[in-house]
Amino acid sequence: MPDEGRARPRGEALMDATLQLRGIERLVGFGRMLRSRGLPVGTGRILAFCRAVAALGHFDRESLYLAGRLTMVARKEDFDAYDRAFQQWFPQARDRLLAELAGWQPEARIEIEREIEVLVGEALSEERAAEGEGEEGDEEVTIGLVASGTEMLRARSFEDLSEAERREADLAIRNLAVVLPMRRARRYRAAPRGQRFDLRRTLRSSLRTQGEPFRRSWRSRRTKRRPLVLLLDVSGSMSAYSRALLQFGYAAVRAGQRVEVFAFGTRLTRLTRSLRRSEPDLALRQVAASVLDWEGGTRIGASLKDLLDRYGQQSWMRGAVVVLCSDGLERGDPVLLAAQMARLGRVAHRLVWVNPLKGSPRYEPLARGMAAALPHVDSFLPGHNLQSLESLCEVLSS
Amino acid sequence: MGALPFESVEELQAVLGRYAYLADRGLATAVWLSLALNKPLLLEGEAGVGKTEVAKVLSELLDRRLVRLQCYEGIDASQALYEWDYSRQLIAVRAAQLGEHEADLFGPDFLVERPLLAAIRAGSRAVLLIDELDRADDEFEAFLLEVLSEFAVTIPEIGRVAAEQPPAVIITSNRTRELHDALKRRCLYHWIDHPSVEREVQIVRVRAPEVPEVLARQVARAVARLRTMDVAKRPGVAETIDWSQALAFLGADRLESETASATLGALVKDHEDLELVRAKLDEVLEPE
Repeated sequence: MPDEGRARPRGEALMDATLQLRGIERLVGFGRMLRSRGLPVGTGRILAFCRAVAALGHFDRESLYLAGRLTMVARKEDFDAYDRAFQQWFPQARDRLLAELAGWQPEARIEIEREIEVLVGEALSEERAAEGEGEEGDEEVTIGLVASGTEMLRARSFEDLSEAERREADLAIRNLAVVLPMRRARRYRAAPRGQRFDLRRTLRSSLRTQGEPFRRSWRSRRTKRRPLVLLLDVSGSMSAYSRALLQFGYAAVRAGQRVEVFAFGTRLTRLTRSLRRSEPDLALRQVAASVLDWEGGTRIGASLKDLLDRYGQQSWMRGAVVVLCSDGLERGDPVLLAAQMARLGRVAHRLVWVNPLKGSPRYEPLARGMAAALPHVDSFLPGHNLQSLESLCEVLSS
Repeated sequence: MGALPFESVEELQAVLGRYAYLADRGLATAVWLSLALNKPLLLEGEAGVGKTEVAKVLSELLDRRLVRLQCYEGIDASQALYEWDYSRQLIAVRAAQLGEHEADLFGPDFLVERPLLAAIRAGSRAVLLIDELDRADDEFEAFLLEVLSEFAVTIPEIGRVAAEQPPAVIITSNRTRELHDALKRRCLYHWIDHPSVEREVQIVRVRAPEVPEVLARQVARAVARLRTMDVAKRPGVAETIDWSQALAFLGADRLESETASATLGALVKDHEDLELVRAKLDEVLEPE
């Protein structure tokens, strides 16, 4: 690269050029490594990284680390993965190759920018070629629903169903219309019979009548659907029911509503993402695999606390309809459970507890956990068969 | 990047310090690169770690105007970009009808400038702060993306307004929801953590000089311990400063359980947390 005008600390121009190229290759390689580990790092971000390093002008390890994190990571959750990758790609406190680049001059940097783009572009096309093979769309096969069979199923408890019947029930559940209640949003929209005068539109249309506001416009508040939060007990005794409720959540996700799903046994697992990607059955099986101590019992209070601590401030928690599915056999401290239920009750719009045991006519909520939680629950429903899930639908939309 | 008044990250860090903002190396690098590369800086972190403050200090030390766009649910283009002054237009129409002077109803006189337009017009003479973007709806984010990539808007009645040089942009988010990836791709991302005890002592000393050193140190240590406890809402730096000031105001020069308990409301603002901290106050103050 031409370098008149400024004194360079070392080396001839030609040697510098190859050095720079190798340096860039090293930086781009790091970006590609991040991508291969699943971080969403595209060409633009790698380019920004190279530019940032060039702009910083010095190549100590901390600057490199920060430049990379600033430009290529966009979530705090990915910091750990980034740290590990950085550790492996730049293992030494002083990277010899980059240290030699310390004499980089601003003029030269502009020249290298094209080089960066070429390099990154090449890297990308290679990867695309590799990805192109072996990818197939996973078409879903729809099965017709046998109405009469479903009628029979409606009153039977989920636990008594055979595998085939269960699948049929799943389909029926997914066809349930989950309609969540509305709430007032902050925005306005034009409405012929709104309560508020719409000065803007009135004036606009008055221009057509020479400034005489003949036609007056009105507006009213928009409304929004409330989000749904499902909390599913996945301990052994509950799995049949939780599975049914998960189908229920799946139906709501499919209907384009905001739904968050969590599973808990002894600890809390967020299912929302896996539910969006894969079939509910598969998602549940994955969670089941991750729950180690099936017989350890459920800790509802601790799980709720975890939920509220981590997600209590999220917009989908505040004013949501929360459905908790559990038998209420709490192994933890009922005092903790009561406190957390009170907290949840304050955050949520409505709190529904679905307890399959309630399907039995002789059931009374005497278990200490259930008794502690009950005062904070808005609706207490059985949810052990299709029929009761239908009534859950009604409760939700009311 | 020739316009930058500082040579290096270290210098920026020092200048920030002179303006009573003690930034660590990571944040200083983030701000520096954001200015050097002309990229918006997205700051996330828990409430009260000083995200908004960065923009304020930056505008002071660059001697630029701070243009603040506070986001909220339902914010739209007419509140963020520009709107016509309808009432004045209406009066002008009336006046024109009565034969008084004609007015250009959709001229600059009737345009109400909102923060984004103000920032575009000011260009590199402004620092644009887009505060708590997570509160706005995703549609607004898409709109913002458009503005941030071009720094130009077209107002049909007037024409195109473009910034010669883009303003410095700081975006903050409290993470009540995940921001869209397309927006993040345009930004540099930095997470501001709670400061270390040492730094927090410095911050308290700089922000509240009336607080004695010993007290500031004890307060910072107590707050750090409290943050590791099982509280629903961890106190931010702003709360630490408030608490120190409250204690100093009561004439305390050491942290003692009686005054600490009386002023705890400046630090902990959740009922359950307050009960928890009161119960374990000795542990928080001095664990030995």
